[in-house]
Amino acid sequence: MQNAEKQTAKPNVIDAILSIFDSTVGRKYIMGLSGLALVGFIVFHLAGNLSLFFGAEAFNSYVLKLESLGPLIRLAELGLMAVFVFHIIFAFSVTAQNKAARKTRYAVKGNAGKPSRKTIASQSMIYTGLVLLIFIVAHVWMFRFATRFNPEHVTIHGAEVINLYTPVVAAFKNPWIALAYSAVMLLLGMHVSHGFWSAFQSLGAYHPRYTPVIYTAGVLLALLLAVGFIALPGWVYFMVPVK
Amino acid sequence: MSDNMRMKLKIWRQKGPNSPGAFRDYELDNVSSHMSFLEMLDVLNEKLIKEGKEDPVEYDYDCREGICGTCGVVVDGVAHGPVRRTATCQLHMRTFRDGDTITIEPWRSEAFPVIKDLVVDRSAFDRIIQAGGYVGVNTGCAQDANSIPIGKEEADKSFFAAACIGCGACVAACPNASASLFVAAKISQYAHLPQGKPEATRRALRMIEQMDAEGFGNCSNHAECEAVCPKGISIDNIAVMRREYLKAALKTGSATI
Amino acid sequence: MSKLNIQEGSPLQAHLPAGHVSEKWDNYKAGIKVVNPANKRKYTVLVIGTGLAGASAAASLAEMGYNVKAFCISDSPRRAHSIAAQGGINAAKNYQNDGDSIWRLFYDTVKGGDFRARESNVYRLAQVSVSIIDQCVAQGVPFAREYGGMLSNRSFGGAQVSRTFYAAGQTGQQLLLGAYGAMMRQVDAGKVQLFTYREMLDLVVVDGVAQGVVMRNLKTGELESYAGDAVLLCTGGYGNVYFLSTNAMNSNATAAWRCHKRGAYFANPCFTQIHPTCIPVSGDYQSKLTLMSESLRNDGRVWVPKKAGDKRPPEQIPEDERDYYLERRYPSFGNLVPRDVASRNAKAVCDEGRGVGESGLAVYLDFAESIQRLGLKTVEDRYNNLFEMYERITGENPYKVPMRIYPAVHYTMGGLWVDYNLMTTIPGLFALGEANFSDHGANRLGASALMQGLADGYFVVPYTIGDYLAGKAPVKAEAAKGEAFTQVRGEIQGQIDKLLSIKGTRTVMELYRELGLKMWDYVGMSRTEEGLKKVLQEIPKLREEFWNNVRIPGDADGWNKNLEFASRVADFLELGELMALDALYREESCGGHFREEYQTEEGEAQRNDEAYSYAAAWEYTGNFAQPVLHKEPLEFENVKPSQRSYK
Repeated sequence: MQNAEKQTAKPNVIDAILSIFDSTVGRKYIMGLSGLALVGFIVFHLAGNLSLFFGAEAFNSYVLKLESLGPLIRLAELGLMAVFVFHIIFAFSVTAQNKAARKTRYAVKGNAGKPSRKTIASQSMIYTGLVLLIFIVAHVWMFRFATRFNPEHVTIHGAEVINLYTPVVAAFKNPWIALAYSAVMLLLGMHVSHGFWSAFQSLGAYHPRYTPVIYTAGVLLALLLAVGFIALPGWVYFMVPVK
Repeated sequence: MSDNMRMKLKIWRQKGPNSPGAFRDYELDNVSSHMSFLEMLDVLNEKLIKEGKEDPVEYDYDCREGICGTCGVVVDGVAHGPVRRTATCQLHMRTFRDGDTITIEPWRSEAFPVIKDLVVDRSAFDRIIQAGGYVGVNTGCAQDANSIPIGKEEADKSFFAAACIGCGACVAACPNASASLFVAAKISQYAHLPQGKPEATRRALRMIEQMDAEGFGNCSNHAECEAVCPKGISIDNIAVMRREYLKAALKTGSATI
Repeated sequence: MSKLNIQEGSPLQAHLPAGHVSEKWDNYKAGIKVVNPANKRKYTVLVIGTGLAGASAAASLAEMGYNVKAFCISDSPRRAHSIAAQGGINAAKNYQNDGDSIWRLFYDTVKGGDFRARESNVYRLAQVSVSIIDQCVAQGVPFAREYGGMLSNRSFGGAQVSRTFYAAGQTGQQLLLGAYGAMMRQVDAGKVQLFTYREMLDLVVVDGVAQGVVMRNLKTGELESYAGDAVLLCTGGYGNVYFLSTNAMNSNATAAWRCHKRGAYFANPCFTQIHPTCIPVSGDYQSKLTLMSESLRNDGRVWVPKKAGDKRPPEQIPEDERDYYLERRYPSFGNLVPRDVASRNAKAVCDEGRGVGESGLAVYLDFAESIQRLGLKTVEDRYNNLFEMYERITGENPYKVPMRIYPAVHYTMGGLWVDYNLMTTIPGLFALGEANFSDHGANRLGASALMQGLADGYFVVPYTIGDYLAGKAPVKAEAAKGEAFTQVRGEIQGQIDKLLSIKGTRTVMELYRELGLKMWDYVGMSRTEEGLKKVLQEIPKLREEFWNNVRIPGDADGWNKNLEFASRVADFLELGELMALDALYREESCGGHFREEYQTEEGEAQRNDEAYSYAAAWEYTGNFAQPVLHKEPLEFENVKPSQRSYK
């Protein structure tokens, strides 16, 4: 028996390792890890963007600081994109598998109540995720690329840097953009409210004392992110004077 | 307490695994609040047989005391019905009110094909256990039982996981039809015991490989499974399973063994 | 009293090994033939039923190298009714240093069985009980433990020592899942072929030897034949003849009964156990009864009002108007008397009109005093899962209102007669676990059923089967295509066709309930000559009614629960008659068999050792009213029969 097992041809090392991430459990490691990385990015992103509250100079010096990292920031961007791509691809494959696992749907959908954590948020991850994906494409296009076609430069502390403050303010002064942005940030909050805790659970990080803390922390973080991000267009729309 | 409730029932009828199914409506009088849910269906069936117009409704059951795991239907969208930690056979009609409409569906999962009406085939669970849900010890070669001390806390954790009755409600309730709670319960039972250690790697990899091969979905941590589980098995066990899998995968560098 | 006109056949030989009772099993093992390891794979063993006995046997035999085909009536072996055993499993480990020993377990079991068990089997059971616990722990069965990591024990069912191992209130479940896992491991290894959704409908006997079985595939409706070198019947007991019992709904006697009709003698069918602590019947739609673990009697006090017809709610009945009748009558055992005694006393007080609840068929099991003495927390720790279950079923909270309990049929000590090898009177047909009759005599002690099922499967049959198979020419699987199989299959098909063609007016369940009620009333907790004679008249009539007027919906081409039940009820209608006959013929009271005519002045069971110290094994003759009786005389060389006293 054991000899027979040994004789079967082993797949090559790379295929073997990849097979781990083909399993339902392995895929969730990817989802969890990439999700946590993205949460980290978003927190960082928000923290930086809060400089918007302090006016053009503050905001643009933040831009300057990032730009001054040179190739490092490009590398970070590529890395970030890779994480996004993983998160998205696996999200689609996980969802497709889930749909295939139940082809006949229930006529009545119920909720068993506590301790279930099944919420609108947990059930709509793929949808909130899709909206976020569309948003991100638009967002990156708008602020990362479109702003660079015809850049206006400003000088801060003797260094010349692209002026991102003006296009951001211009965009948020548009009520539709401000509104859409705010709506999407609500969905982001929803996504994180399930995603944060879920990522830990997917990675097998369970502890009777810490897990409830993580769960609450996830909800608070989601709230904070949504409020923080919505505050940006809100601030700009209502508080920044029209030039 | 009422002894003559009138129930409206909407029941999934399906002749065989490959026949299309549909809901049919029934009305039943004189339902006593002391009846169990299955006894209410028994009474409906006696009526249907007497009338002779259509075949009785098929539903699976055995012990009718909530331990064998044979019974199980989705009642108004919730596996095993609205009462927590209660299998369908222990659900009683006092939970419902006169005039209620109750929708009754089978467990719905591609891995649990319908045999007839509300009866589904859960042999996928057997095949998962077959892949490693045991400690490989032959009869007769065991050492004295007390030579393996196991602390009460760990023994209790193992027991709470082992309490799984294999009813499949976790799959039925999961928005993704995932069998993670079932598989995790078994993996976790042995993960908490020294007896389980020698085969931990093999067990985790093989059971999860089989779970995936059966066509169950992924676990998205909705925890709806825990809420419907008649034994209240915690999703903590799913975290344990994922740790065991990670350890196993790192050890072997592969998902298969 | 007019003695029944029963024909007696030759007495039975149990093939007991030589030597003192404590040496028999070792002597036996030393002397048996064994099958060469290389030859084991040439033999096929058919294991019918995959509960504790079946799964443990299938696993052990496959580990040894035999080919095993295991058949299970449900979708999975894990459904077997062994799973419902709550309390625990006995073993003479003496871990508690309280003076337990193999001898003491043996003694208690023989005495508890009211001196109607075979000493040598019981001793063997007590011997292997020790290995069972070792085996189960090695398998990862999560028994209850102390903080220091050692196994925990409790005293159970009136034992004077703590020898019961348990896993909360789910011991049977955990042991079954252990055996099931062991078997599934062999399925994975290719040594066990598992057939689920299969119900055994007949035994095929060729040249007087069991050669195979005919199964109905409950999913497709097909009849299938399987040939093998030995058939192990592990199909449990026949308690469901009473319709209402604590048995699972699908538990039935069909496999055993059809083996009986093919030549296996049925022993002591009247020995049935009525469990004292079950949740009372609540209405005529009731489908089954739920047992509350006997462990509740450790802390609960049983009482009824002193005055007949006292319908006041329990909290309004003052202490001095309550009758704690078990404590009163049995001061040393109190509420912990054996099951038969507790049950009979409950019936007696209800017959006096002192029963409680709406139906008057219940007694109180009161925890108020324990909650006061131990504190709520301790009582919760011990019994919370049981209290929750009670509340789920009755809607009453037992922390506040005393539980209402009543006896219900729980276990059958009778079964197919087997010799020391667990072989029936048909060579090659073995019976294990509750399906056989041997170890519990007239009354089984608590926590002994799990022990016996696993003893037979793990540690007895793996030896004894070798003795049978060694030297036997192996049967090929193709034998199942032979004429003998075709003929039996034809007979079964004929019976199914007949059942479906009746198209009468009464449902299977109606007729089944009617039979169950008759059995409960006349062959239940206490029996009288008059009642038994009456029911012996009525059962054949009901059987006729069944075969002329039953209505079975649907067809035989697939899943049809009513058809399944119909063939089981058809067999119960025959078995019920044999039970009544056996009960009538045994003119004594012993254990679970209580004949009102035979009781002591204090109302206890009065055995008649001179006339009835034997196992009554009945041979089927084709006429249900005229079976032939074969006696196996029971000899008590080590435990001298005495009047059981629990005072």
